[in-house]
Amino acid sequence: MREIINMIVVLSLICAASGTLLVNLKRATKDKIEQQVLVNVQGPALMSVLAGCDNDPIAERKVVDGVTVFPAKREGKLVGVAFETAAAGYSGDVGVMVGFDLDADRLVAIGITTQTETPGVGTRIMKPAFLKQFKGHKVDSLALSSKGGDIDAVAGATYSSSGAVDAVRKALTVYKDIKPQIADLWPAS
Amino acid sequence: MSSIKKEFLKGLWDELPPFRVVLGLCPTLAVTSTAENGLGMGVAVLFVLTLSNAIISALRKIIPGKVRIACFIVIAASLVVAVELLMQAYTYSLYQKLGIFVPLIVVNCIILGRAEAFASKNPVLPSIADGLGMGLGFTLSLTFLGALREGLGSGTVFGVPVVWESFQPAHFMIMAPGAFVCLGVILAGMNAFNRYLSRKKGEPVTEPQNAVCASCAGCNLCITGKKEG
Amino acid sequence: MEYFMLFVSAIFINNIVLVQYLGACPFMGTSKSTDVAIGMGGAVIFVMLMATAFTWPLQHYVLMPYGIGYLQTIVFILVIASLVQFVEIFLKKVIPPLHASLGLFLPLITTNCAVMGVAIMVQRSNYSFVKAMAFSLASGIGFLIALVIISAIRERLDVSPVPLVFRGIPVALVTAGIMSLVFLAFQGMAA
Repeated sequence: MREIINMIVVLSLICAASGTLLVNLKRATKDKIEQQVLVNVQGPALMSVLAGCDNDPIAERKVVDGVTVFPAKREGKLVGVAFETAAAGYSGDVGVMVGFDLDADRLVAIGITTQTETPGVGTRIMKPAFLKQFKGHKVDSLALSSKGGDIDAVAGATYSSSGAVDAVRKALTVYKDIKPQIADLWPAS
Repeated sequence: MSSIKKEFLKGLWDELPPFRVVLGLCPTLAVTSTAENGLGMGVAVLFVLTLSNAIISALRKIIPGKVRIACFIVIAASLVVAVELLMQAYTYSLYQKLGIFVPLIVVNCIILGRAEAFASKNPVLPSIADGLGMGLGFTLSLTFLGALREGLGSGTVFGVPVVWESFQPAHFMIMAPGAFVCLGVILAGMNAFNRYLSRKKGEPVTEPQNAVCASCAGCNLCITGKKEG
Repeated sequence: MEYFMLFVSAIFINNIVLVQYLGACPFMGTSKSTDVAIGMGGAVIFVMLMATAFTWPLQHYVLMPYGIGYLQTIVFILVIASLVQFVEIFLKKVIPPLHASLGLFLPLITTNCAVMGVAIMVQRSNYSFVKAMAFSLASGIGFLIALVIISAIRERLDVSPVPLVFRGIPVALVTAGIMSLVFLAFQGMAA
């Protein structure tokens, strides 16, 4: 009996110690990790949709109505914004970074941030052939050609394509909502 | 003091993982497509192994025999999670490149194997030396294999081009087959070197340590044996 | 159709040991004879299925809702290790013949990176429960196939004139490399 109690006590103590250590470590590294994820996961897509800016969009990001918005500036003047949205694809969510040109009031480009689609099939939404259809697109509406719009889905990857399109449509709505507030958030410097 | 030095040094040649003591094959094969990845994985394993050995050795008198393995696993796994968090915070791109093999450090036979075979039976300082030695040996081996595969497979080492103009990289080296073949050739090379050394010293030639691959089985059979007892 | 592709992919295109490197240690250790190989392969399939069956619900109903996803590694390995223990005891008491043939391998499989690897992979690919089980089954079958092939080859190699320094593990590794090269030919199927 004593032996069993001893076993349980020691095992529990070790688990408790490990738990405490890990929870504290997690708390201590939370911000750094968030920063790293932004730079490494959102970063590449962000840079591709906000090409030509000369500021640091990640450092100057602000949260507007619950959406983290990254500003693009040229010579101190705000020229564009980008933010990430997601929608259900074939297997899990497709994360899309959408960049907007404020002067032209159009989409600049999109980049896929996260996805778990079928390799070789659904992952083709990350290829330029699909993505270039979004370049310079108008911001009032967007749809797949099968639904009357002008975006052609990737052959054999309807769900993945519509996941990306749905994410971009969410972005268009967000853009419309936050547009009035944007100009004030990053005053010209 | 010399015994501590002995424990440290054995991990660097006599019991060099994974070339002489065939343990931890999965990460060895998987992450050595570049020297940098090999180095990164090696350092992570060094960290976990040394700390795990130290902690287990410090606690060896109070861990009850029957739940020994469970305790080892909790300690090793916690260290691995700690390493994961630290890597995500400070070396995110390396973390992305090593992928699934970071959490898999916990099932690396080296960690549990050394805990069972050494740390649970020896004082703290020798255990630390053991962990440091084996970890360092592992790191050096992985970096070496990584450099070899990267050099032959993409013409660079740590990203620095090191081959002459007309060299056509053998892409095969970076992929799975290259890993297996490279490791096999290196092991054969070590055997050859050993035989040469033994012959020079006039000692009888010893059976290749490769039979020790069973030590991966060995460390587990050891576990069964003790789990029942 | 999609499940068929999943199976083909896990068994051939992304074979767990020859392409993804998972399970290399026991792969080398238990491939000396075909009988042992079949036993080990069977045990791996069994444990993989069980491991996924237990870790998937844990991830989705405990780890994710409570925001402790970062403890995945430690929870999974503890679950797998305990599971294997219980199964071994259970088999010994309830189905002794099965225990006699599989039993030796079960503890070996606890630290088999293939089992833990598959459990983590199905989470990273966001599979549904059914897909995850299918994937585990397929991966296990892929492991079995590779293991049986290499053990058959090794049995022949044992009676062939292999250079002294290559005998044993080195030539087994080179053989695995050649097998891996063959399996690489399946890559074209995915595109």
